[in-house]
Amino acid sequence: MLEFFHTLLFSTLEAAPPLVFAAVGASLCERAGVVNVGVEGMMRAGAFAAAAAALVMPTPLGVVVGALAGASLAAVHGLLCIRLRSDQVVSGMALNLVMLALGTFLLEAVFHSSSGSTPITQLSRLSLGSIDAVPLLGALFNHSALTYLAVLAPLLAHWALKHTRWGLRVRAVGEQPQAVAAVGIPVGTLRFSAVLLSGALAGVGGAVLSTATLDHFEHHMPSGLGFMAVAAMVFGRWTPLGAAGAATFFALADSLRIGLASSAPSLAQLVPGGVQLALPYALTLLVLAVQGQRGGAPAALGQSFDLERR
Amino acid sequence: MLRTVAACALLLLIGCKKSEPAVPGATPAAAAARIVGVVTDVGGRGDQSFNDSALRGLEAWAAAQQYQSGSYAPLSPEARTATIPEALRAKVTPLSVKPLVLQSKSPEDYQPNLQLLVDQRADLTVGVGFLLENAVEQVAKANPKSSFLLIDSPILDAQGQPAALPNVRTVVFREEEGSFLAGVLAGFAAKDTVGFVGGMEIPLIKKFEAGFRAGVKTANPKVKVLVGYTGSFDNVAAGKQLAQDQLAKGAEVVFQAAGSDGLGAIQAVKEAKAAGKRVFAIGVDSDQAHLAPDAMLTSMVKRVDLAVYEAAKDLSEGKFTGGDRVMGLKEGGVSLAPVTLDFEGKAAALARVDALQALVAQGKVQVPANLKALETFEPPAP
Repeated sequence: MLEFFHTLLFSTLEAAPPLVFAAVGASLCERAGVVNVGVEGMMRAGAFAAAAAALVMPTPLGVVVGALAGASLAAVHGLLCIRLRSDQVVSGMALNLVMLALGTFLLEAVFHSSSGSTPITQLSRLSLGSIDAVPLLGALFNHSALTYLAVLAPLLAHWALKHTRWGLRVRAVGEQPQAVAAVGIPVGTLRFSAVLLSGALAGVGGAVLSTATLDHFEHHMPSGLGFMAVAAMVFGRWTPLGAAGAATFFALADSLRIGLASSAPSLAQLVPGGVQLALPYALTLLVLAVQGQRGGAPAALGQSFDLERR
Repeated sequence: MLRTVAACALLLLIGCKKSEPAVPGATPAAAAARIVGVVTDVGGRGDQSFNDSALRGLEAWAAAQQYQSGSYAPLSPEARTATIPEALRAKVTPLSVKPLVLQSKSPEDYQPNLQLLVDQRADLTVGVGFLLENAVEQVAKANPKSSFLLIDSPILDAQGQPAALPNVRTVVFREEEGSFLAGVLAGFAAKDTVGFVGGMEIPLIKKFEAGFRAGVKTANPKVKVLVGYTGSFDNVAAGKQLAQDQLAKGAEVVFQAAGSDGLGAIQAVKEAKAAGKRVFAIGVDSDQAHLAPDAMLTSMVKRVDLAVYEAAKDLSEGKFTGGDRVMGLKEGGVSLAPVTLDFEGKAAALARVDALQALVAQGKVQVPANLKALETFEPPAP
């Protein structure tokens, strides 16, 4: 029994980080009033760039390059949505499509392979030796540094949104951009900062996949995790803590399904496999249906800001 | 666009034809070389799996050519031999064929690509992978005088029932037989637990599971098999999570049949091995030893290359016929990759694997291909 919970905890901590980074990033972007469905593409950019960069530099620096790659893609999103005032959902989807193709193209151009990049040095795991074997407590160790960063990221994002001047303003441009503009604060710049940060976090989420989960970029990455992160953000009512909680819940549900299949096969078979797999998505739909029309979304979400419009 | 390309290609061919009489007795050798066309699925060249295997069978084995940055160069006999497993070297001789390969970038490319090869006068057109089933069916019906080879699926009608076409040869593999041998080896290498990581829970993957569990049971009935399905074929993180769970619960050997998810499973085993555990992974489809040289026990290899080579050989000997073929251990369609790592009792395990392989090939042991048959499966006496 203890072994079951130990494995469950360990497995959740392994699976959650990519989702947590991406979901927290998405919540920052949307808090500022910019819809971000391009998370999938930004994660893919981060995953590829981190793996490619880690070939020529230490892997932790590669992760930073992954964050920069995610942010550069977000900059395109920002340019389209904030400067050019194009449709935010269309821009996000376009970025996803572009990255899907660009990732495959670069893989063939740089690594001459359609399946994956050359292996890199994997991020090392934080091990405390004998403590790793202690039930439950040990499950907290032997993860890569990014797992611990994924615990910190939502707390930092929450603090930044709630307790800094920047955070107050970001929340304000998501609700009432006209009011913010009226007191002389540049709306576009503020939104841009949130979009860039969101891209960087999504990039790190992708980098987890190629530097910690695996030791190379695999051509399917991130295989829908970006969309799941957006669902987690909605589930978490557009807040960093809620998004991270929902992301962790998705990872936990997956770990529970896997853990039951190996520890208690008869129990796992009570619910058909397809239902178990669909559970996180079905729950997100349910939450959306229950919480009503706006359901915690910022009031100005999806509206491009035009100073002359009232 | 494609239609334009096809039209241009046709024009070129017609142009060539017209000019032929002007050069009397032109290149009889080239005229004798049969053209074998291959359409890859979206995985394409460099997928280190199905497509690469099919291309190896045609380019290296049959045509003795290698593809380098856009064109073909002759492959030296030594380099060619190195690509062929030892058991097949005597049988696989160079043929007079010319490869013509088209890669598919999306599922919409399958049908135009196949048709383009037919228009290019390919004597045999190969569709690699069950994803091309519908496209091969359509193009084969439209071109009844051309020959086709479809890998990994029979031609099916709208109800999913087999509907063979006279000009199409299809090849499917007995995955359960190869998985059975993998299970036997795993049963010997492990002391009390092994794991199976499946992708989507579909009948094809259940074949792997049934064969593997039957093999483990045959080697050592006391060994427990942990079974899990990730529900996808493209999510490395899910595969890793599943394998980590099984390793934490004592699995000593993990067999994956989960596409890209399996790469995550192999990674989990590799990391556990690096952390000092005595664990092994078993790969699938092609020899995956390069992914984790210290931890790969073996791989369950589907010999797509052999299926393509044999079709090319039949073609060049004028013996090509349509029909559905099934390649198991007997036909050499599935096999285990060489076991290079050492473990306690390896010699006895390999001897048992060889003996069982012979029994299965002779039809004396029926390997279960689904979980229902597994329930009534009785392991043969040692």
